[in-house]
Amino acid sequence: MHRYGACLIALALLVARDASANKSLDDYRYFRALNLDLQGRPPTRGEIADFERSDFDLDKWIDAHLTGPRYVERLQRIYMDLLRLELPATYRFEPGLTSLYSLQVTGPSGPVDIYYRVGQRRTNPAIDGQVCFTESESGLKVVEAGRRGKGTPKVISQKLLDERTVLVKPWWLYADHDAPSPKDRAAPSWTSRFPGLDVVWSMFVDPDGAPTSAIRVCKEETQTAAMGHVLATGRRTKADPIPDGRTTRAPLDSAFATSHAGALVSCTTALGYKSSNECGCGVGLERCLPNAPAAFVVATKAPLGEDEPFVAGPKPAWVWLQSWWTAEATHFMGAIFGDDRDVRELLTGRGTVINGPLAMFYRFFTGATCCGNYGPELGFTAPEPLFDPKAVPAKLGPLEAGTWVPVADRGPHASGLLTMPVFLTKYATRRARAHVLYSAFLCRDFVASKVTLAPSSEPDLTKRPGCSACHTRLEPMAAYFTRVQESDWTYLPASTFPVSSTRCAAPDAKRMRPECKTYYDPAFTNASHAMLRGAYAAPANADQGPAGLASSITQDPAFAPCVVTNVAQSLLGRQLTPDDAAWKASLAKAFVDGGYRMRSLVKAIVTAPQYRGNGAAGGTK
Amino acid sequence: MKVVALVALVACGSGSDSIEATKPTPLVPRREVVLDTGTQPHRRMVQPEQFLRAYLTWFGGLSPSEVQKQAGRGLFDQWNDYIGALGLPDYRIDVPRAGQSNPLMLAAIARLGEALCVRASEHDLAKSTPLADRQIFAFDANPSPTLDEFAKGFDTLHRTFLGYPAALAPPARVGRFYALYQKVQTETQTRTSRSSLAPVQAGWAAVCTALIQHPEAQLY
Repeated sequence: MHRYGACLIALALLVARDASANKSLDDYRYFRALNLDLQGRPPTRGEIADFERSDFDLDKWIDAHLTGPRYVERLQRIYMDLLRLELPATYRFEPGLTSLYSLQVTGPSGPVDIYYRVGQRRTNPAIDGQVCFTESESGLKVVEAGRRGKGTPKVISQKLLDERTVLVKPWWLYADHDAPSPKDRAAPSWTSRFPGLDVVWSMFVDPDGAPTSAIRVCKEETQTAAMGHVLATGRRTKADPIPDGRTTRAPLDSAFATSHAGALVSCTTALGYKSSNECGCGVGLERCLPNAPAAFVVATKAPLGEDEPFVAGPKPAWVWLQSWWTAEATHFMGAIFGDDRDVRELLTGRGTVINGPLAMFYRFFTGATCCGNYGPELGFTAPEPLFDPKAVPAKLGPLEAGTWVPVADRGPHASGLLTMPVFLTKYATRRARAHVLYSAFLCRDFVASKVTLAPSSEPDLTKRPGCSACHTRLEPMAAYFTRVQESDWTYLPASTFPVSSTRCAAPDAKRMRPECKTYYDPAFTNASHAMLRGAYAAPANADQGPAGLASSITQDPAFAPCVVTNVAQSLLGRQLTPDDAAWKASLAKAFVDGGYRMRSLVKAIVTAPQYRGNGAAGGTK
Repeated sequence: MKVVALVALVACGSGSDSIEATKPTPLVPRREVVLDTGTQPHRRMVQPEQFLRAYLTWFGGLSPSEVQKQAGRGLFDQWNDYIGALGLPDYRIDVPRAGQSNPLMLAAIARLGEALCVRASEHDLAKSTPLADRQIFAFDANPSPTLDEFAKGFDTLHRTFLGYPAALAPPARVGRFYALYQKVQTETQTRTSRSSLAPVQAGWAAVCTALIQHPEAQLY
């Protein structure tokens, strides 16, 4: 018996040693494919050696790798390929409200950089709407903001410098910028303290070469009030004389300023910035970005994520900020795939994941596009946010680029990717937004099979011959985005902008008031009412907003099969064919029955013969 | 009236020879064409992101910027020169990921592969590098290996880049790569090539570079 046991052990060892002989080429190839898809790279020699062991449990291995960051990356890539959520270089978010430019003037002891906002309202008419020194005081003419002034510099006295400017310790120079006296100045240790933050150190050097301890900012820009009173100067027409001391015209009072002089407006809106001399950049300038040509190092090519950039370089702060919009979308997807949450949340989820720069953006910057040139004329003076600033985690500072914090609920208007800035600006129009969702989440496209385009004056594209083939479906979908302005994220509240307005009604649409024409469509306006732009095909959809579209798409019977198609096609590296129909249907059913979880779907695909044999699934001859 | 007269004249005057009808010919016999509508076995392209992740791993898990520093010195200028050719999508301008290879892509992969293999051979095949610290060439390299000795080292590289033992590859593969090794080694020995590597390093670097460019390495 004893000898029999020893023989068994020896036999077992022999079998174990020869286990690799039992693996076929297909086995190895299958293991390599799994590694590429779930680990993001081919297996190492060590991993192959593990695989060759007789006790290697492939099923367990697959389960263990359906959780990691590489698995998440693989799924993110599928949806990023579909949605392409990066902005072109031509898109620039650098509104006057948030852009701090610098002008080098000459002080009593040498050159001094003065930071200012173009268009900043000031009480002194000689410097209202421009840098806080006149051309005659500095000797310099500002031809273009951010560029050197033209002319022969004059020495500005210390008294005038102190009268017009304040020394500030800004957020990009001090981590504790909101402390009463900030001390935590930028240092090499920031690299490890703030992973993901890469500042351009030349920003922290004064013109004389000394390390910057504080920057000199025009006094009005340093104000911290949340609200400011509307300034009415009495300057109403271009015929008004140019105030003494300046060569350019001073800002004129808008109709809103004239009618609302002294009223309170939010300082985090474009309206407050344009109308009040009491609005500034906030504590430590946290409501503004330094508009230097090189402020932060930004990854321009990072196919493996922002943590591993392949190409990076110094860029202006607005480029740096915009790069986080894309990162928000990928982190949001990553959270859903990583936690194996319901995939429908991609469209319907009210939560998100943000880092420090995004926290700053959502707290202070989103109002920069509110409320348009004509909004205030209709009573639109305060934005109704897609991301409620109160939901932003309070302790997330602007330098914490590598700290990603989940936000459970952005607010009542939030709806997955649909209300993120990167989506709304990448797909600038209502129709573009609807189209990409239709194609990415329902796997359909707008293709007119046979149309005759006859001349027509029919404004309703769901009826116009030739157009109706596609627009009958597209227009009602686009209508869900009626309230989110095009190329923007400003939400038009129903209280101010009813879908059907009697206030903007006009018997002759050509003579609509400009403020009405901006928001209401003359083609659908008559003597009794005006129709909000984009809503005509489905007024009810307009009031449901993007969340209504998300709900409609995720309830569509084509949604689950489309998820299956997108994921399977990517993992198989080929189109699904009619031969795959039964398999696809069974995957879709399991996906729905399992609560729309990606993990079980991916496992079902990578363990299917279609993946393993990659397509050798037979067919009809 | 004139036109009618003209037509009548032309019609009456056309007493030409009659045209004979073509004789009927039998139709081509019906034959069945078999179309295979089944899904054919198909190899996927390794995605550029997967290749880049593998590349960083082969370099010992370095970051992209560290790889650029390590691989540089005449072999590898900067990522920007290669990364655009690997077939990555560019979401900013809506360029989709490449679905097929192209000469530029293959040339970029070859160049990256060469940079890896040359640097790895310099490091791994130096006498002072312990076996445990060898990232790619994790074997003892005999300067003049026999076919059997070569096959052992080759198997290591084959597993690294193609993911399976060389014994499962087509039988002629080891011999072909052995011939490549010998050719490069001999040319380096006789200095017909301008390589700064020792003959054994140049030989193995060539084998390694060829494996990275192998179609099986780019497909799965």
